[in-house]
Amino acid sequence: MASSSSSGLTFKLHPLVIVNISDHYTRVKSQMNPPPLTSTSATVNGVEHQQQAPRVYGCVIGVQRGRTVEIFNSFELLYDPSTHSLDRPFLEKKQELYKKVFPHFYILGWYSTGSDAQESDMHIHKALMDINESPLYVLLNPTINPAQKDLPVTIYESELHVIDGIPQLIFVCSSYTIETVEAERISVDHVAHLKPSDGGSAATQLAAHLTGIHSAIKMLNSRIRVLHHYLVGMQKGDIPCENSLLRQVSSLLRRLPAIESEKFQDDFLMEYNDTLLITYLAMFTNCSSTMNELVDKFNTAYDRHSRRGGRTAFI
Amino acid sequence: MNSVEGLVTQIQGLSSSASDVLSLHNVLKQADDSLHAESTRLLPFLDQLDPSKHSLGYLYFLEACTAGPVTTESASSFVLIIARFITSCAADQIRLAPDKFISVCKRLKDQVLFLEEPLRAVAPMLSAIRKLQSSTENLTTLHPEFLLLCLLAKCYKTGLSILEEDIFEVDQPRDLYLYCYYGGMICIGKKCFRKALELLHNVVTAPMSTINAIAVEAYKKYILVSLIHHGQFSTSLPKYASTVAQRNLKSFCQPYIELANSYTSGKITDLETYVHENMEKFGSDNNLGLVKQVVSSIYKRNIQRLTQTYLTLSLQDIASTVQLNSPKEAEMHVLQMIQDGEIYATINQKDGMVRFLEDPEQYKTCEMIERIDSSIQRLMTLSKKLTVLDELMSSDPMYLGKVGRERQRFDFDDFDSVPQRFNI
Repeated sequence: MASSSSSGLTFKLHPLVIVNISDHYTRVKSQMNPPPLTSTSATVNGVEHQQQAPRVYGCVIGVQRGRTVEIFNSFELLYDPSTHSLDRPFLEKKQELYKKVFPHFYILGWYSTGSDAQESDMHIHKALMDINESPLYVLLNPTINPAQKDLPVTIYESELHVIDGIPQLIFVCSSYTIETVEAERISVDHVAHLKPSDGGSAATQLAAHLTGIHSAIKMLNSRIRVLHHYLVGMQKGDIPCENSLLRQVSSLLRRLPAIESEKFQDDFLMEYNDTLLITYLAMFTNCSSTMNELVDKFNTAYDRHSRRGGRTAFI
Repeated sequence: MNSVEGLVTQIQGLSSSASDVLSLHNVLKQADDSLHAESTRLLPFLDQLDPSKHSLGYLYFLEACTAGPVTTESASSFVLIIARFITSCAADQIRLAPDKFISVCKRLKDQVLFLEEPLRAVAPMLSAIRKLQSSTENLTTLHPEFLLLCLLAKCYKTGLSILEEDIFEVDQPRDLYLYCYYGGMICIGKKCFRKALELLHNVVTAPMSTINAIAVEAYKKYILVSLIHHGQFSTSLPKYASTVAQRNLKSFCQPYIELANSYTSGKITDLETYVHENMEKFGSDNNLGLVKQVVSSIYKRNIQRLTQTYLTLSLQDIASTVQLNSPKEAEMHVLQMIQDGEIYATINQKDGMVRFLEDPEQYKTCEMIERIDSSIQRLMTLSKKLTVLDELMSSDPMYLGKVGRERQRFDFDDFDSVPQRFNI
């Protein structure tokens, strides 16, 4: 549509919205029968079947404080092809329900999927203008492009531009940032690690997981070492004593152990023992295989009456 | 006379620093024959030498003194002298002449055996081992002598302490066979059947080019201990046993293998009749005690088999299934097994019911963590040693020669001609 917006609003998008839209789209697509082809239409039995990826629609809700618009959540809506707009009574009912749970959230706009904004979208956009005078249009591009690095999400605003002497509403892109809450970070992390981009097996996933833990522990260790070094210096008298820092260190140390109950000890020790046993088993297997090879070699070399005939592997 | 006196002064003079000791060693080696010629008169000269400072010289003198035949008077005095020498000698000096030291210690053993007081030599022999070993992983010729003394003196605990160490280097194969055999016997004496089985297994599967008597005796005991400990015995030896052993051992131990067969059938009466028939054979091998333990262990085996079928059982039923005479005997057996930790059960005295329980080990304790951790550490050191050995073996010319010979002349991925023999 058009280049960039000039409204001066800053947009903050929460990952929950992206996950919701993506989930909606995936669900509808997988429930379709027969499944749609990728992008082009196919010719079956001489009749052209347009099997395009379905478009899903919904509303986005959030908070607008001054010049910052923060999009927190979204819900789904059905597209009514007769009126070429979204199902209005349903929207209002949903809006009431959400108002009860989140009194601060307003309807900020709507979302859809597709590769680009289309002319018909303006219709829906105008229909929403009575709820919010300047609604947003969040567009998610569901085609997977492995070369693309950024998120395939664009936020459009509507602006009144004069084209050919006629003032028209057109869509203009706006930039946005992703904003996360703690809970969202955990789930995004979880989703991100579930499906590795190269479709790696369980072994690579485990290795990646363990490498992550290893680097985390290494960083923790180096930081504690810095603190320790500092405290030793302070004890020796090389560094002047700073009470505020000491208080902070002491409070940090008092945060662990976090749980002290006996049930925790039991479970913790049991799990620790399990891990140790698995390591022991792995070492055992490793050692046994080395020993096996050694014995084979020894038998070949030194046993006078070893089996003749048949080729042994040249190691 | 002069030469001996001169030698004494030389020893006294040259025993201070390491280089002096080396030159002294050369002098002594040359003077060895003359010392042996005058062996009877050397005893008074020993008093002039200090065993802790002049260890090497003292050793040579002592070895020459004790070279003669053993008599009662000489034996008692020599035992004292040798024992004192061993406890006070300097380890680095005697390591220069290890065979002399070993022969002196063997003479000590002969003398205490002659006097029939093996206990006197146990402690000196232990310190002798410690001084002769280059590291705790080294097996010296003194190890089996020490274990033999422990066996004869019946002090098994000291013997066990030596057996705890892992051995990685062996000087002579005969040492290993004897060490493991005696070690196995000591463990049987202390009723640690697991370690005994391990040691006897080592003898039976050790590399050997011809069958030897030690391996045959060890195999007999191995069968019996395996029956006591595991309740079963398989006649096939693992593939790392030498082919000589795999082929020939069984033919020497036929009565024992038949004993094992009748044991596994589970019928106590058959077992007892068989034992009774072959009593002299077992007795001549000095294995009668072990065989009796095998017979008593069959009851234990049968009771253990019951735990897999029943959850609770009355003492009367146990007695009848296991073919014991009375419920009282059954109760005694079960109690003994609970005490030894072989089964987990509770006996209800009121109605004479025994309830079999699961292993209560929850693997949640810190002690278990330490046990597993130490095992892992041991495995890690072992694994490193194994990889080193593996690499050594791969570059061994004998191995390369044999493998190269069997290889196809032209491999399909390289067309270099492979030499049929490695000329090294």
